Formats: sequence, C-alpha cells, structure tokens
Amino acid sequence: MTVINTIKAGLRVGLVGAGGIARLHLPAWLALGAQVTVYSIDGAAGTLVNEFAGGQVAESLDELLDAVEVVDVVTPTFTHPEIVLAAAAAGRHIVCEKPFALDTATAEAMVKACASAGVQLLPGHVVRYFAEYSALQRAVAAGAVGAPAVLRFHRCGSRPLGGWFADPALSGGLVMDQMIHDLDFARWIGGEIETVFARIVDSSPGTTDGVVSAHVTATHAGGAISSCSGTWARQGTRFRYGFQVAGTDGLLEHDSAGAAPLVVDAGAARAGGELVSVSPTVESPFLTELREFAVSFSGGPPPRVSAEDGVAAVRLAVAANTSILTGAPVEVAA
Amino acid sequence: MSELTVGVMSMAHLHAAGYIGLLAARPDVRLVVADPDAVDRPGESGGRELAERLGVTDYVDTYAELLARRPDAVIICSENARHRELTELAAAAGAHVLCEKPLATTVADGEAMIAACAAAGVSLMVAYPVRFSRPFQALRDAYPQLGRIVAVAGTNNGQLPAHSRSWFGNAELAGGGAVMDHTVHIADLLDALFDGAEAESVHAVTNRMIREDETELETGGLLSIGYPGGVIATIDCSWSKPAHYPTWGGLTLRVVGEGGIADLDAFGQKIHGFQEPTRSPLWIDYDEGGDAAMLDEFLSAVREGRRPQPDGESGLRSLRIVERAYRSASTGAPA
Repeated sequence: MTVINTIKAGLRVGLVGAGGIARLHLPAWLALGAQVTVYSIDGAAGTLVNEFAGGQVAESLDELLDAVEVVDVVTPTFTHPEIVLAAAAAGRHIVCEKPFALDTATAEAMVKACASAGVQLLPGHVVRYFAEYSALQRAVAAGAVGAPAVLRFHRCGSRPLGGWFADPALSGGLVMDQMIHDLDFARWIGGEIETVFARIVDSSPGTTDGVVSAHVTATHAGGAISSCSGTWARQGTRFRYGFQVAGTDGLLEHDSAGAAPLVVDAGAARAGGELVSVSPTVESPFLTELREFAVSFSGGPPPRVSAEDGVAAVRLAVAANTSILTGAPVEVAA
Repeated sequence: MSELTVGVMSMAHLHAAGYIGLLAARPDVRLVVADPDAVDRPGESGGRELAERLGVTDYVDTYAELLARRPDAVIICSENARHRELTELAAAAGAHVLCEKPLATTVADGEAMIAACAAAGVSLMVAYPVRFSRPFQALRDAYPQLGRIVAVAGTNNGQLPAHSRSWFGNAELAGGGAVMDHTVHIADLLDALFDGAEAESVHAVTNRMIREDETELETGGLLSIGYPGGVIATIDCSWSKPAHYPTWGGLTLRVVGEGGIADLDAFGQKIHGFQEPTRSPLWIDYDEGGDAAMLDEFLSAVREGRRPQPDGESGLRSLRIVERAYRSASTGAPA
C-alpha cells in the first residue's frame, strides 16, 4: 500500500472571508498550487485577490461552493456554523478557523453534519504547526523530558480595536479566541483535561482601551497540571508567546521574546499592534498547516489535529468561561 | 557606629551560611552562632565544624549560651516548624528577630510569633531577600509607568531542596513541599507591589510527579490568586528544575498593566558558556542578590529603633496564602 503524501494537482479551494487570517491563508494556498476562489460578504475579496496576485472572486457563497472541492472558513467566529453546514451540505471538505463555534453543542452538530455528509472538517489550531510548538510536541512525545508534570503557556497580543473581534458576545472573548490555542496545545501534550479553574480581568470593560488578562489552571487525566495565561495588551504591544514544560526527566522552555534569530533595530518604536506575527526564519505555520490538511483532503493520512480536537478546544474554552462566571473549578465532560 | 551583637540560631537552613558570611565581614557586628540541632541532621553540614569553616570565631553549643550574650538581634535559620519556639526564646531574651521564610508552618504559629515579639517590644522581620534585590528594585522603579495593574504571573522554580537538607522532605519540619517553600517568595513580592493587600481568593492544584520516588511531598504546584480590585495572579511554585540543572532555580514575574508589561528575571544576571571536561553548560552568576541589602535593612532598623519590612504581619499574609492554597488543593474549591 502506498501512502499518499501529495496534494491533488490544482486543488480547488474556496476561501470564505477576506480578513486578517485570509491574508495568511491565501498566500499559503497559492504556494501549495491551489486554485483559489474567494468570497467575502463585505466585498473585500477583490482587494485581497489583487494584493496577492492570485485567486478569483466569487459573487456569492453558492457560486463559491459550486466551484471548489475544499472550503476554508476564515470568517468571524459567530458565522462559522452556518457556512460550515452549507459547505458540508454541498459535499465539500472543510477547514474552519478556530474556534469552530461559541458553544460546544453547535460545534458538535457541525462535526456530526460533516461526518454524515462524508466530508472532512479540520480546525485551524495553527499553534500545533508553529515550529517551536511542533518541536516541543515531538520532543515530549519522544520522551525527552519524561512524563510532562507542570506545564506553562503564555500568549500576548494587542487588544482588538473594534468590530466583532472586540465584542465577547461575537468572538467569545480572550479565552475563546486567543487562549483556546494554548488550551488545545496543553491538552495535546499534557493529556485530556479534567478540570479547569479560570479568572479574567479587564481594566476597561466594554471599551478597546484597557488591558485584558486571563489565567487558567487545568488538571490532566494523567496527573499533570497546566497554567495558561493570555493577555490582550495596550496597542503597539509586540505579539509574544512562550512555554515551559517540566517533566519527570527534564524541562523544555521557549519565549518568542528571547529567541529571535534575526533582530533589526530600526531605532523607532513599533506603531500599530499585531494580532499574530509569523517569523520569517521558518516556514509559515499556516502553510505547514494547510499543506497537511490538503494532503488529507487528497486522500493522505489524517493531520495532527482532528475535528474532535476542535470540539474539545471549544469545550475547554466554554468550561474556562463558566469557571470565570461561577468562581469555581469546572469539570470538563469528555 | 556602635557594635551590634547578632546571633545566628541554627544552620538548618543553608541560607545561614550566606548570612554568616555577610555578617562576619561587617565591622559593626559581633557574631555569635549556635546550631545545637545539627545532631538531628546526621551526614549533613552543621554545628561547630561548619561555623568554623565559615570563619565564625564565636560558636556556642546551646541557644541558652547564645542568648546569654544578650544579642541585640538574632537571625533564625532553623527548620520551618521550629521558627516559633526559637522566636519566642529570642523575644523573651529581648533580641530583635529576623526569621527565615516562611514565617512559620501554620498561621497560628505565625500569630503567636507576632504576639511574642510585640509583648517583648522587639521587631520581627521575615527574610525575603528578593524584595531587596536590584532587579526587583528596578521593577519597583518602573512600576508607576505600568499604569493600573491587572495581572501578574510569577514563577519560583527550583531543584528539590531535600538534596542538600533532608528536612525539606519532612512534612512536619518543613510544613509542606513546593507550595510551602516557593509560594511565599512571589507572594511577598506581590505583597510589596500591592501595598499589603490581602488576597481575596486562592485556588491551587498540586501534584508529585516530579521526583516522586524521592519525596512524599508535593513537587508541583500552581496557585491562582484573586486580589482586591479584580487583579489576578498565578504562581508556579514547583520544584521542577532537574537535579543537575546548571543552577538551583530562579524567580520570574510578568506584570501586566494598562501602560505596559514588565518582565522580571530576578536571578537572570548570568554569563553563559560550556565546560568540556564536565560536558556541562556554564552559567556564571554575576548577580549580587538581596541578602546584603536585606541584612542592612534589618540591622539599620534595629539601630534606629524602627520597624523593619517585611515585618511579621507581611510574613503572615504570605503564609495565609500558603495555608489557603493547601486547603484549596485538598477540597478542590477556591479558599
């Protein structure tokens, strides 16, 4: 038996949405040789296609669904379920940005609909594809630090300035939108999470001026304990992330702030903030991610992240947000 | 400057060696040391032999002999559970007390120590040297520009201390494992930054996966603390540094405010390299630490008749966080 590890030539991909993540996904799809069709409800698809000199514009979601084999949903979170269900009904494989949905039941329904339609649904948990995190996971899986015992993750970016992203009712807030990456990753290498305890603080709720931080403590089925801290900081704050995993035989740690292989000091303060930054010294993790997904859609092996992982991540974020509301630890139902 | 007589009571805690080295070098201090409990630590350094190796010229065999020298002040470096009895002895003899951290192993003992010192009219200070380190002083200087503070993530990770002093592995003498040993340093820095604000809620999870064959005590611990005004803090107090790690451990704080984020690595002043014969990384510390400045604050306060900080109440606040953390870890609910 041969293992398929190539991407179907000229894979037809439909990008739904033309916002921040689309700007990272479109060049990755083009680099993979995909034929990309872009549809955006806000009419920004043409601008995006022109900027990256690739892809064509669809005038409606139906037109896009008719034209493609794979749908990549990079729209605001609250619109994911409707688009994913439409793509599943059309029989298309689906990439859906994280989080799948703002509640677990909806995420589960999306997975069920895709299973019934016989299409793959893969979540954009791109942190699993960041080179540092990928290296950590491989080393931990190979036993480099023994059994993981105490895990720490931190992530910081500028506070979203406006639109749906700044509205917790639409984005799910800091835990659901940002920390979900670290909850997913903690679960990947620390094992299933049994309980979470969470706190959040917003220095200026209802505005985009203040600073938001959340801290989550988790216990894993195998006995490990994890701490995740996430921050939306003042405008202009550098995007930053890091981890430490201490195990029974050693530890591994990383902080993006202290490990840049290239530093250019241009003598001026950075102006705008950033939501995510991608290092120029490794392959874009979005490209790595979408390549693995495309191989899977082409009949190759399943990728490192599954639809069930996407649901589990939503479940963890929901549990953390419940803990924030109740002030008590929340057991995470498997 | 008048000479002060300073006694060091017990060398069970290895910090005693550092204090003795600093005190012995001060021309304004007459040093007297007693470590009668060294007999309880067979195979470990201590007693007259260690004192003389550290250059101590006045070693006595009992606490009674030490207190008979009428010391102006004493530094208590016993096992955690013995802090109370030695503090009560010293206070009754009229000596100001600097007590190794944590203040005690129970809040009740800590309260008794505060009462004993108050009744005797002597000061009680708790040895939290990081508060006096230059990196933390620099953080305090930068603190106003961080604006309103919303969150702090602190880590104080180390090797298993029982490797050098076995009492750290004894639940009764140490009062607990990593939570007792390492929570209080961060809690004290938060006490300093937050002007003594009392924690409103403490949640903790612990485990003992790391070095579980070497100790019955918890080696992993994560605390989540709520402070007044909605400020949140997390402390990783784990004994998670490998036994042959290039250094004992370290302490970090990430302070998030409306005006910015400050990262403190309190023991980060090192040069790095590699040594071929041992095939080991070389980490050479050039940090001066906080011990000298802390002793200076203690002795200056004794001379000037003022109350040194961090005082007993401050030590009690950080100890209360520890006690609540253990309660939370056992019930699963915030305490």
